[in-house]
Amino acid sequence: MDFMKPILQVKNVTGGYSPRKPVLHDISFEISSGEMVGLIGLNGAGKSTTIKHILGLMKPQQGQVQVNGTTLDEDPEKYRAAFSYVPESPVLFDELTVEEHLRLTGMAYTVNEAEFEQKKEKLLEQYQMLPKRKAFAAHLSKGMRQKVMIMNALLANPPLYIIDEPFLGLDPLGIRSLLDQLVEVKEQGGAILMSSHILSTVEMYCDRFIVMHQGAIAAQGTLEQILEAAGLTVQGGTLEEAFYKLVAGGRPQ
Amino acid sequence: MNVAAQMTALWSGRAKRFRKEIMPYLRYMGQSGFPAFLSLFVITGAIGYFKLIQELPSQFPIAGVGVAVLTLSICWSPLRTWLASADKVFLMPREGEMKLYLQHSLRYTTLGCGLLIAFVLLLYLPIYRQGAMLIDGFFIIASAALLKLGNVWGAWQERRMAWPGMRMLLRLLRWSLTAVLLYAWLTCVLWQAAAFTLLVALLFLMLYRVPDKHHFPWERLIEEEERTRKRYYVFFGMFIDVPSQSSKVARRSYLNSLLSAVPYSNRNTFVYLYTASLLRTEIGGIVIRVMLLGSLVCWMVADSGVWSGWGAAIAYGLFVIVLAVQLGALRHTHRYSVWQHVYPLPQSHRIEQYLKVDRAAFLISAGVMWLVSSLPLLKIGLAAPLITMIAAVLLYTLIRPGRLRKKIVKEADED
Repeated sequence: MDFMKPILQVKNVTGGYSPRKPVLHDISFEISSGEMVGLIGLNGAGKSTTIKHILGLMKPQQGQVQVNGTTLDEDPEKYRAAFSYVPESPVLFDELTVEEHLRLTGMAYTVNEAEFEQKKEKLLEQYQMLPKRKAFAAHLSKGMRQKVMIMNALLANPPLYIIDEPFLGLDPLGIRSLLDQLVEVKEQGGAILMSSHILSTVEMYCDRFIVMHQGAIAAQGTLEQILEAAGLTVQGGTLEEAFYKLVAGGRPQ
Repeated sequence: MNVAAQMTALWSGRAKRFRKEIMPYLRYMGQSGFPAFLSLFVITGAIGYFKLIQELPSQFPIAGVGVAVLTLSICWSPLRTWLASADKVFLMPREGEMKLYLQHSLRYTTLGCGLLIAFVLLLYLPIYRQGAMLIDGFFIIASAALLKLGNVWGAWQERRMAWPGMRMLLRLLRWSLTAVLLYAWLTCVLWQAAAFTLLVALLFLMLYRVPDKHHFPWERLIEEEERTRKRYYVFFGMFIDVPSQSSKVARRSYLNSLLSAVPYSNRNTFVYLYTASLLRTEIGGIVIRVMLLGSLVCWMVADSGVWSGWGAAIAYGLFVIVLAVQLGALRHTHRYSVWQHVYPLPQSHRIEQYLKVDRAAFLISAGVMWLVSSLPLLKIGLAAPLITMIAAVLLYTLIRPGRLRKKIVKEADED
């Protein structure tokens, strides 16, 4: 895969539910292949709205979103085939089993059948879901449902992964497995946009960060650039400290 | 307020809330033209019925028809309890007092079922009187009432059973033996039917003592209530958008091969999804029941050769309409799913693939009913109604996709 090739380009996007009251204000950022980027911000900062714009569930009022060199209007199938999405709350089909969810994803993303069989077994084993392969989604715990979502995203193997709060409901083994998998995806040239409130994990695994505040980007870049933007010393500073400084003017009381 | 009054107030309050909740949907249903369709159905049915009892064919299976209609109305013993999941926490501490609450449910549902049986008997007795009539009509009414009470009691015992396998087995036995008892009441002399009924009653008294039972089957009653509510909403969903109720999934392993038969290909993504939804949700259950009941009724009417086989064609037509309406609910299943906007597939694919599943399901179900009707009709050499039936279904299969496509587009615009 071509490393550092821009996969996601969000250019001057302004948008929201009503044109009179936009939620996002002129936001721009890029994610390249082989990069994991953390999207962080308080509740209501605009993270989910940004993700909805990237997914094509909301149309920008101004600006443009490009995924893998195309926009949703230019080529909707190519645009959508270039990413897989793990939502904050698992959205599964109750009438499908774990295995059938993977099959459906394989079909939707045109994964070769032989490759699908191989990947399916590997993922089921990796996420300790082999005993649950025939279980209906309706009968799974929240953590297991989240695992199915993650397995679906990994099975599709697109250039871009959009992952919203992936750790909610996952057990420690599931979290470790996901993080290892994301590192592997990144090393193979995948681009990852991960939204999370667990700042220590984001700091440890992400290469760059986008700090959102009140619908705008308060800072973006590497940890050093974020610390500088927050007016903190680069040596020994943490993402958490910079985050509080940027969005709350300091450590909350 | 004493305990009995508290329980009465709780039960009545919940029943009233439910009636209030469904009232707006009943209004929409009234505006939809459904009452006109129902009136037409009733008028056509009444004309057919009166013609039938005036000129009942000599080979008409009087006892067979009686067993079929009475078994269904006597064995079917629902129980509206208005219980909800939260009751496991809030009402469980009052389990000892739930008997008082339950009495209202039993009275309410038994009264409803009693009215249904009275209606069925009202229609059936004029037919019964044209047969051998070994037992007086009064005793048939009395036996139906007794059998109903026995079935209500039996159904309650089954609800209490801890092991689902035993519950299913005893339910099957209850339905089968009720059918046999009804056959005895409709074809034997009084003392034989009464003695047989007594024996079967004793057998059930012993059988129901064997399995382990819960004192109050909370889970089962809550599940049953949820299912009933869902059916109401599936029904209202035919006329107006209704709040989505989480759909209970049924494995129906015997139909798994149909899902596995969908080829693994990008072109079949939504075929796979809609097939699974059809086979495993309530819609599939309803379609299967309509198909089985339709097959039984069409076979019986065809076998009697009513109106030179055209009676079977009318019955077939009515069941095909019900089937088409029920199957139409499938288009709502993934209407608001985020994945239809995320999967790299054109929106038109989803609609076309849904239509493919709808067409296959409609043709299979209508085909099965047609085949079942065709056996007795061909035996008595009545081919014209059969040709008309299949021609009408094939013609409708050609028109249906266009109509559904229009509805989907209209609904998408409304969204």
